[in-house]
Amino acid sequence: MRNIVYIVVQILVIMLVSPLVNGIIRKVKAFSQKRKGAPLLQMYFDLFKLFKKNSVVSDVSSWAFKVTPYIFFSTALAAALLVPVSTIVTPQEIPGDIIMLVSVLALGRFFMMIAALDTASTFGGMGSSREAMISSLIEPSILVSLFTVGLICQSTSMQQMMEAMKGTGIPLFHPVYIMVFLALFTIILAETSRIPVDDPATHLELTMVHEAMLLEYSGRHLALMELGAAIKQLVFITVLVNLIFPHDQLIAITGISAVVLSLFLYLMKVIFISIAIAFAEVFTVKFRFFSIPNLAALSFILSFLGFLQYFVLGGSNV
Amino acid sequence: MSNYFDALSVLILFSSFILMANKRIKSYIKTFRIQSLLIALAAGIMGIKGSFEEGRIDILVVCLLIVVLKVIFIPNLLNKTYANIEYKVEKDFILNIPILILMCCALVVFTYFSLSTIDGINAGIINTQVVNSVSVILIGLLFMISRKKAIGQIVGFLVIENGLYITALFSTHGMPFIVDVGIFIDVITAVMILGFMVFRINEKFESIDIDKLNNLRG
Repeated sequence: MRNIVYIVVQILVIMLVSPLVNGIIRKVKAFSQKRKGAPLLQMYFDLFKLFKKNSVVSDVSSWAFKVTPYIFFSTALAAALLVPVSTIVTPQEIPGDIIMLVSVLALGRFFMMIAALDTASTFGGMGSSREAMISSLIEPSILVSLFTVGLICQSTSMQQMMEAMKGTGIPLFHPVYIMVFLALFTIILAETSRIPVDDPATHLELTMVHEAMLLEYSGRHLALMELGAAIKQLVFITVLVNLIFPHDQLIAITGISAVVLSLFLYLMKVIFISIAIAFAEVFTVKFRFFSIPNLAALSFILSFLGFLQYFVLGGSNV
Repeated sequence: MSNYFDALSVLILFSSFILMANKRIKSYIKTFRIQSLLIALAAGIMGIKGSFEEGRIDILVVCLLIVVLKVIFIPNLLNKTYANIEYKVEKDFILNIPILILMCCALVVFTYFSLSTIDGINAGIINTQVVNSVSVILIGLLFMISRKKAIGQIVGFLVIENGLYITALFSTHGMPFIVDVGIFIDVITAVMILGFMVFRINEKFESIDIDKLNNLRG
């Protein structure tokens, strides 16, 4: 029973909120350019429309092209199940930890790159080679920053890490968590194809990475891929907000109202981080592609410094 | 309370990493300004604490001096010097940035292990703040030798000075006033002389690339 409630809450919250994040980011960016911008719920309308349409598949493509949207979407959902949105609604035990989370996301990405190569369009190959480079540069810093938190919390399960983080007071004043926060923020920008790495709003062939891999998709397949990417983005945001800004220790009541309050606070935190991401997008320029290793090195060093501070502080007294 | 200083010291350390990752002279100066602001914040918190607990206000005066000199005066001076230089080439580092950043990281690890073996009152106890601030000194040195242009080297010199100041601040919780002021006057004189030298180098050789000074050799 507990497991079923967890799965239902998790999937509903993640799937309903994830397009909203994109909406907020686009709205803030539009305001910064003195435009009114598309409505907040534009991505829901887009997805709804795309789901009603058939998809066109090229004759030269193989099974990999057709199966990828489903794999990408289901790996994103599987990753979403590993990261609880609220520590009040929890299952008995989550069968998987942060290593599982990273590898599940990597599986989806692998199939996305294969599918982009499959139709042999020039942009697809370019996009997947870039994506392979960026992901291999960013993955070490994801693992190191999550392991640092895991070391302090004595667990690699995301649920137990979030439980342990509730007792740390305000983590942002702590030297380890400051570094982990900055590292995770950089990782979100790189992983969800945001501006310093990739521009989500453009279809200019020289710069696009994520969009280049989706060029051949249409209709239902495109909707699945876009929703999958939005879910992946929300999964990373959830990891960030629930680790660094734990909120469930503030709730004194129990029962259904506690769950609702907890989810509301979660939503507020996600909106806050979305606005922060939008500001980061507004105030930075897109990097040259060969400058991305600098960003990746910086984010790796951030997470490594956090790791080092943990040992400098002496481990136990953190 | 020491938690805030831990967090501030790690932010100061990180600002020197950002400095190392910067490519343009304008952004060196901007990052230096941010680092000085963080140091002024640390000195300010410590000064308020000192004025309440011990009744000494000299750390607050030093904090004010940092804001006036290192946040406002020196960066503006450097910006003005840079604006007067005609020959502007931005890319001036000798190794690529990821390698430099990894070297900085190795420096932090080195500092951590070397400070664990010192004798004295703190023997055996590794203080985060001291480790971080000594690393800032070493990163400043590395920054100085990794840049070819004169302005980059001036910024490296200033970062070393910043590192020395916070090492003293974090390990003694406020040095004697006269020592602080003496160091500041040294720094101002050095920067003004260096700024003038940059201007002269630029006039003589039409570039501030210090490699060109080798032309003088017979």
